[in-house]
Amino acid sequence: MTITSQPSADGRELTIIISGRFDFNAHQAFREAYLRPDVSPQRYVLDLQGANYLDSSALGMLLLLRDHAGGDEADIRLLNCNPDVRRILQVSNFEKLFVIA
Amino acid sequence: MNTHYGLTILVAEDSPVDRMLLSTIVSRQGHRVLTAANGLEAVALFEQERPQLVLMDALMPVMDGFEAARAIKAMAGDELVPIIFLTSLSENEALVRCLEAGGDDFIAKPYNPIVLQAKIKALHRLRRLQATVLEQRDLIARRNQQLLDEQRAAKAIFDKVAHAGGLDIPNVRYRQSPRALFNGDLLLAAQAPAGQMFVLLGDFTGHGLPAAIGAMPLAETFYGMTAKGHASGDILRELNGKLKQILPVEMFCCVALLDIDFHRRVLRVWNGGLPDGYLIRADGSRIALRSRHLPLGVLAPAKFDGHCETYPLQDGDRLLLLSDGVVESRNARDELFGEQRLLEVLERSAPEQLFDRIEQALAAFHGQAQDDLSLVEVTIGEPPPRATPSLAAPFEPRALDWVAEFELRADSLRTANPLPLILQVLLQTQPLRPRAGAIYTVLAELYSNALEHGVLALDSAIKRDATGFAQYYELRRQRLADLRHGHIRLRLQVHGDEAGGCLRIGIRDSGAGFDVVRVLAEDYRPAGLGGRGLRLVRQLSDSLEHDGADGLIVEFRWGARA
Amino acid sequence: MSDEHLDSAILVTLQEVMETEYPVLLDTFLLDSQERVLSLRRALASGDSEALRCAAHSFKGSCSNLGAVRLAELCFALEEMARDGRLEGAAGCVEGIEREFAIVGILFRAERQRFA
Repeated sequence: MTITSQPSADGRELTIIISGRFDFNAHQAFREAYLRPDVSPQRYVLDLQGANYLDSSALGMLLLLRDHAGGDEADIRLLNCNPDVRRILQVSNFEKLFVIA
Repeated sequence: MNTHYGLTILVAEDSPVDRMLLSTIVSRQGHRVLTAANGLEAVALFEQERPQLVLMDALMPVMDGFEAARAIKAMAGDELVPIIFLTSLSENEALVRCLEAGGDDFIAKPYNPIVLQAKIKALHRLRRLQATVLEQRDLIARRNQQLLDEQRAAKAIFDKVAHAGGLDIPNVRYRQSPRALFNGDLLLAAQAPAGQMFVLLGDFTGHGLPAAIGAMPLAETFYGMTAKGHASGDILRELNGKLKQILPVEMFCCVALLDIDFHRRVLRVWNGGLPDGYLIRADGSRIALRSRHLPLGVLAPAKFDGHCETYPLQDGDRLLLLSDGVVESRNARDELFGEQRLLEVLERSAPEQLFDRIEQALAAFHGQAQDDLSLVEVTIGEPPPRATPSLAAPFEPRALDWVAEFELRADSLRTANPLPLILQVLLQTQPLRPRAGAIYTVLAELYSNALEHGVLALDSAIKRDATGFAQYYELRRQRLADLRHGHIRLRLQVHGDEAGGCLRIGIRDSGAGFDVVRVLAEDYRPAGLGGRGLRLVRQLSDSLEHDGADGLIVEFRWGARA
Repeated sequence: MSDEHLDSAILVTLQEVMETEYPVLLDTFLLDSQERVLSLRRALASGDSEALRCAAHSFKGSCSNLGAVRLAELCFALEEMARDGRLEGAAGCVEGIEREFAIVGILFRAERQRFA
């Protein structure tokens, strides 16, 4: 599992790239990725291209990010979800909280 | 370097010269020395004195060093007793034999005291390391045992708080390991006063104590509200609100709730985040009970959607709920059980064997019982026997005489369920308590009859087939949401003395009215579900009649207590 | 073959380690070695190559510990012969060991005198 984050040139968007298993072991790294002291983005993009697995604690982390990013006002997009990851998000109906593309 | 760590060291060597030399070197270095002239002596001395380290010649008479080393290692068990082979053996093969017999190091002749000291020290360090590892292993094992004991105790407490015997209902079959609670799984079942049954399967994110703690208020709320006769939507809203309030942001609970009305043969189901459940017809056809909602504890109360899907039920139908542990479980080869495997079992099995087949498939896949999955099956048939109400109190006959009238207007009809409150009021009258279930059922039937056929002007003829059935409930939801006018009037009259008494329930609505007399007169209406409700009322009560002014009048009578 | 019969460096170490027990160690070696030479002879006479190999191996160990380098080398040669079953040269080798032991015995007794 690796998690990196990349702010856009104008600093308004933060892209968090997750690869490998996105599970409870990722907790600290994921927090650090979205709590970067150097940027204060208005939008978040989670690139899940390399993520092959997602468990319920990962869903919990997504909720933490959503809370951090303004709750109902949060602008978070989940990109490049593979079918397994998409299925897990669907069963939990997370498309009601996040834009899943 | 001084040698304050003085060990007891066994020197096993057949040559008296070498033995003398070695014991002198070792004892000068601060250790206590035991000497043996052959392997047999060495083993006996080891057993008796339990030295911490052994210097062992390979070739000795009576019993050689290899055999003695094996015996000593066996006796030492988990404890590391380092064995240094004393040897001038130069062939590789012999060195391999030393290692295979359990040797930890070698020292060649002529002995060099400095090298020997360094080796003893190094192996002593290794010995201490091993001892620490063993201590920690034992500590972890003890702690784990302690944890399991505590979990058992916590589970016992939880069962007392939460399991009001709901899972003992004969038409419920379930499988849940004793550890399930600490895996975040939760299975609750309860019978409501009107006789419907609620089954809730929940799966908290995370494991261990946090999940178990979240389960407590959930179970309490569930049992409290089902016992009071609240509707599934209200129960779900309350559960969601409570969990949202108490759980940290990242925690939530995936839940499927079944609300099974055995009298009216209606299932309401709500699934937020659990895998597909199934409604399995007697002919084997299946309807997936799909997750349509976010799990409980995620959304703020204002955004929560407690809307249930509704399905008609028939005798022989089965309802199946599974935790994601079933589909997500992996075997020793790290293969996923997967949805496909489950669907194959569903496809192949006769409905009445399904539960066993799933268990068998899981056992065959894993080669052992799994402790992190939950499975529950409800069979639709005769309404299950009702649990005796725990409201029993001493019977105190006294004069009773009161009338209460309620008028529920559009706002109340849209948002509130008055029945739990009304039941609470009626149960203040003690002679009515033994019939609480019947009274509640009757109230519920009268109320939904007045609401659906009166105020909302729904035609029960729509419900003649399964499509119409869903359409009916969708229509009901829409019309209720749009309701701005209309009312239901309930009149409750209790009159009694020592000789007996009577509860009289009158209900009237603002609707156009329908031909109750005709409905009541029709003994047999094969497909119409609407008439069934009123027949049920007639069966459960002591009289049912229609009165122009008061609408429907139902009576429950009681006599003097013997 | 070593030019020297005894390794003086080893003897120095032994003196340091054994301190006052040094002469006792030497006595023990002389006494035990007579035993060992006898058992070499017996094994040779009976043609038991395994017994010969063990006796040579064991004697080699204590010779090497006591710094009797040349004697240890002879024992090693005998051990190898016995292991390979080449007993035809063994008799000569045992004789060589006896000769060398006689010399070492004289040297050790002289060494012993110094500490008496």
